[in-house]
Amino acid sequence: MKVLILNGSKGSPGLNDSIEALKSGLTEKHVEFTELKLNQMKYSPCRGCFNCWVKTPGSCVFKDDGDIICREFITSDLILAAAPLVLGYPAASVKNALDRAIPLVHPYLEEVDGEAHHMKRYGKYPAMAFMLEKESDTDADDMAIVNEIFTRAAINLRSRLAFIKYTDEGIKGVLDEINIH
Amino acid sequence: MKLTFINGSPRGVSSNTGKLMEHFISGFLETEGNSVDTFYVIKERPGFESIISAVSRAENVLLGFPLYVDAMPGSVKEFIEGLAPLKGKLPGLKMMYLVQNGFPETCHNRYVERYCEKLTHRLGFTYGGAICKGGCEGLSVQPPFLVEKVFKMFNEIGRAFGKTGELDSDLLAKLAHPEHVKAENIKQVAQMVNGFLWDQWMKKNGVEHLSFARPYGEDL
Repeated sequence: MKVLILNGSKGSPGLNDSIEALKSGLTEKHVEFTELKLNQMKYSPCRGCFNCWVKTPGSCVFKDDGDIICREFITSDLILAAAPLVLGYPAASVKNALDRAIPLVHPYLEEVDGEAHHMKRYGKYPAMAFMLEKESDTDADDMAIVNEIFTRAAINLRSRLAFIKYTDEGIKGVLDEINIH
Repeated sequence: MKLTFINGSPRGVSSNTGKLMEHFISGFLETEGNSVDTFYVIKERPGFESIISAVSRAENVLLGFPLYVDAMPGSVKEFIEGLAPLKGKLPGLKMMYLVQNGFPETCHNRYVERYCEKLTHRLGFTYGGAICKGGCEGLSVQPPFLVEKVFKMFNEIGRAFGKTGELDSDLLAKLAHPEHVKAENIKQVAQMVNGFLWDQWMKKNGVEHLSFARPYGEDL
């Protein structure tokens, strides 16, 4: 069991404390993890050129830290993005990282439960999870929207959404979920 | 009427988002006195100053983008975050969206559409609706009569918007068709897209034998 923490913190002490508590909890439980501090990494946003599908299949043509994101993503069992909500959706650094994971799937479309989705390139994909920090005006509607979007995103990355937790619920719930996983 | 079109495609000028909007805009401009300013998100990273200043002076903004991993492209999220200082300051600003995706069906767009509506309310702007359209990848390899039909509908909805200032709900519904595609039809469409678009493109690059390459580990 290996966890990849995509740390999308923008510096809020509350979220940073939660991430530290998460890491100590994982260490205590002897769960292997890697942390990528997204704001210290250099990766271009995906430009939609599709070269990762049609020119260098499986690899992005940008030679930057996106390569590390892909390698860590596909060799992990659980991706845990820890980030603040910014205007109702996780910080842009997380979205840019997820966009850069598309070399991991195949361009071919196939039918999955009555919808078109991308075909797998690899045999096994990690589950996805989120630990998010609310904004002052985050409401039930926001949480429902985020939940829906990532349930869908997980299908398209041939993953599944394991859980979304919020930092105001404390870290125990996150660790329990990882344990079950 | 003035329209500020923000092209959120990471492909910039050569985007499907831009091709579709060209037709919307030409319809919009048929009404005398209408004018359009166009901006590109990808060109204005990371500060987006000129777009944000244009938004702060705009009457009608349309933000268009392709669906990336079931939401807005990361670069568009960067831009959205840049709008935070305008929160609550522009109640009269009408904000609209165009979300287009490369899958055969439009249903994929409905989740981020909900986000766009909530975002508009959160910023205190006026929500003017979203054009949602599936089937937009490989416009160049699709049968021309189908593509023409889509362009014509974009022209129509742009023309109607140019006259009334509203996105026509009947035209939005027409454009969104098909919302879902039957499983057996997805199989047919997939076969075509996989063969005509992706295989041909890989062949052109001489890499069709690498189609299913696993550069991060053959055994993964």
